[in-house]
Amino acid sequence: MQQIKLSERLKQIQFLANTFRLDSGLTVIHQHLPATPVVVVDVWVKAGASVEPQEWSGMAHFLEHMIFKGSSRVATGEFDWVIENSGGMANAATSHDYAHFFLTTSASYLTDTLPYLADIVLNASIPQEEFLCERDVVLEEIRSSYDDPDWLAFQALCQSLYQRHPYRRSILGEEEFLLQHTPEQMRCFHRTHYQPENMTVVLVGGIEQEIALSLVNQTFAEFSVRSECPPHQIEAELPLTSIRRHELQMPRIEQARLLMGWIGPGAERLEDGIGLDVLSIILAGGRCSRLVRELREEKQLVLDICSDFSLQRDSSLFTISAWLEPQYLKTVETIICDRLAELQTTPITEVELARAQRLLGNNYIFSTETPGQLAGIYGYYNTIATAEQSLVYPLTLNRLQPKDFQRLANQYLSPERYAVTVLKPL
Amino acid sequence: MQSLTSTAYPQTVNRFVFPNGIVLITIENQAADLIAGRIFLKNAGSGWESRAKAGLSHLVAAVLTKGTTNLSSVEIAEQVESVGASLSADTSADYFLLGLKTVAADFAPMLQLAGEILRSPSFPEAEVKLEKKLTIQSIRSQQEQPFNVAFNHLREAIYPEHPYGVSVLGTEATVSELTRADLLEYHQTYFRPDNLVISLAGRIDQQQAINLVESAFGDWQVPDHPLPQKTLISLNSNPSQQLIFQETQQSIIMLGYLVAAVTSKDYPVLKLISTYLGNGLSSRLFVELREKRGLAYDVSAFYPTRLDAAPFVAYMGTAPENTAIAIEGLRAEVERLSTNKLTDMEIQGAKNKLLGQYALGKQTNGEIAQIFGWYESLGLGIEFDSQFQQDVTQVTPETIQAVVDRYLDKPYLCVVGPNLNLDLN
Repeated sequence: MQQIKLSERLKQIQFLANTFRLDSGLTVIHQHLPATPVVVVDVWVKAGASVEPQEWSGMAHFLEHMIFKGSSRVATGEFDWVIENSGGMANAATSHDYAHFFLTTSASYLTDTLPYLADIVLNASIPQEEFLCERDVVLEEIRSSYDDPDWLAFQALCQSLYQRHPYRRSILGEEEFLLQHTPEQMRCFHRTHYQPENMTVVLVGGIEQEIALSLVNQTFAEFSVRSECPPHQIEAELPLTSIRRHELQMPRIEQARLLMGWIGPGAERLEDGIGLDVLSIILAGGRCSRLVRELREEKQLVLDICSDFSLQRDSSLFTISAWLEPQYLKTVETIICDRLAELQTTPITEVELARAQRLLGNNYIFSTETPGQLAGIYGYYNTIATAEQSLVYPLTLNRLQPKDFQRLANQYLSPERYAVTVLKPL
Repeated sequence: MQSLTSTAYPQTVNRFVFPNGIVLITIENQAADLIAGRIFLKNAGSGWESRAKAGLSHLVAAVLTKGTTNLSSVEIAEQVESVGASLSADTSADYFLLGLKTVAADFAPMLQLAGEILRSPSFPEAEVKLEKKLTIQSIRSQQEQPFNVAFNHLREAIYPEHPYGVSVLGTEATVSELTRADLLEYHQTYFRPDNLVISLAGRIDQQQAINLVESAFGDWQVPDHPLPQKTLISLNSNPSQQLIFQETQQSIIMLGYLVAAVTSKDYPVLKLISTYLGNGLSSRLFVELREKRGLAYDVSAFYPTRLDAAPFVAYMGTAPENTAIAIEGLRAEVERLSTNKLTDMEIQGAKNKLLGQYALGKQTNGEIAQIFGWYESLGLGIEFDSQFQQDVTQVTPETIQAVVDRYLDKPYLCVVGPNLNLDLN
């Protein structure tokens, strides 16, 4: 009985995309969705903030902006116009582990639009004048993030949690460093990292495999001449040995924030990561969860509380964040630590586990509705691990047992070793 | 160049009316194992509130899922969360909404629960008290985001008497006066079958949908009293300027205009103008003020779809020392639309973009259920989806110029930032 159920499940979630390695070393992932008239192309590059040389902080994100300024064949603004004039959309994002560039377009226009995307990503020219102008845009982006108390508090938590690893860095960089960067350095960064072995091109939607591969082969052909950046160092983060406490004060804020953070496993221990995802739901996912029920609904000490597990390549991040009146900061932190201690000593209930599994399993289904969502998941997993591992998620999720969570809580969520950032009104 | 249109999606939208007045819209889509539902109360929402009761709809939404005559707050949450579903109430300016999403097999019991919540909520006193307190904290928290501060002031200036002038949360003063009796009265007034539009999209066909709705809502009787009518408040443009001091790193500059409702023939024209000015990387404001001059990261324009005259807003965030240049830049771009007729290429580009993004906004079952249910609840009918797209293709340079002259003459202005000595003239 049990076996039949399992095999059915396996069939249900077989990997529907195909992965290819081109001669150049470029990885291509394709999934045909015959019913949709749209194609999403998502280009993932292992060129996030983590591979910046120390003094080049902010370069990966600034480069992501400069890609849109064109190449020798594509004028500034031409890409945006071509895509949007054909009813499509394009954008990009940068994190520590990656930068990615995505395009949603009608299937019938893909042959017209894809060459533009490929050319600007592979052969960005980074003109001096545009560089200076776009730097002002990035500085505005930084300024606006400084007006966001939640961003500031999160940034402070990361700096405290990661003492050595580049995950401590702000992806946006700092003004003083940005003002020192040159277009030549940026070209060097681009030519070092935007090379085929670092890239995954994902195509999902109304396009057949043969056509998709031939199109990628033609358009992602000419990579820049290789260059070599100054070396970057990624040091493994040492485990915390105590509580690292950090307090900030800010004018204009109405609510205090309590952010607590723990370092999780890297992508090579995905199964532990999925277990921590479950714990984040048990602690603060929905009104039935332990902390929401106790702190928001019953004791009424917080305006809101949430917990988040964020999978990162080298070491993931587990956070609990609360918005509350400043006088409750200490009480709430103490209660959270007590509840974490309970997780170590007492198994979670079957009911709680079933609820979290159902919720995360459904979230997985709900987050694969559109070609854009699918392309994002494949590209992300292939950048920090392998695309096929996106499949591990529902399988592992359903295998977890209540006793597994005592071990996970013990190993990762210590109430004696964590980083905490408190943001108070001035 | 032709653009994407929704006709590319093979969607059949079915509409069915029950004897008690409930309108059911079903969009069958077998692609994914899920069903999204949007249950609208059409003549309700914060636009129907008096100024003295601002925030009432929102409070009803916050407490609605926290108890029925048979179920406690915890029991409701357990029913929903144990099947990994989502079910939540929300209010907006022109309607009240209960949204749900489940995998297909769990949909029937969730719709049944939605029925119980809509028909016999208990609004427990303790939950009213808790949600009032949390709402007041949220109202204060809005002050933390400079964009919200600017928009709140602008909205208040454009709509001094009208409910659109206040955040859906209400104000500290009004929310602290709301009582359980207000919630009960709101429920009696607006929660009735002839005020309901149920829109379902996903792995469900029309007959299945009819059966489920019949079982959850079929015996709900229409009350004797008539549906409430909206108090009409006349709106006139009377532009003003405001400077709000905040110790921020950036100044937020916002220009606002009182423009047209969704029912106006000018609606598609204004949607096209806001797309041309502020939507996407090739939009006029983005190219001129960000790409060419590096003045901003966030620069945009928006024109929400509203049953009464809506605001049209252009805004940007910039370094405090650039504030005056930014105001001038935004103004000049809007004024240019009056003096310079747009080229055919510019207009065609904006149309392609608007229609393409409109089609891309209907990808998930939730988005599909939302848009058709919304049009039905606004009284526009599900045909508005194709009508709107048709109307956009008909816009000419001349109609744009005429609409700009009609509405976008003199802006309301709001600046939030650290510069106190700004000369606004």
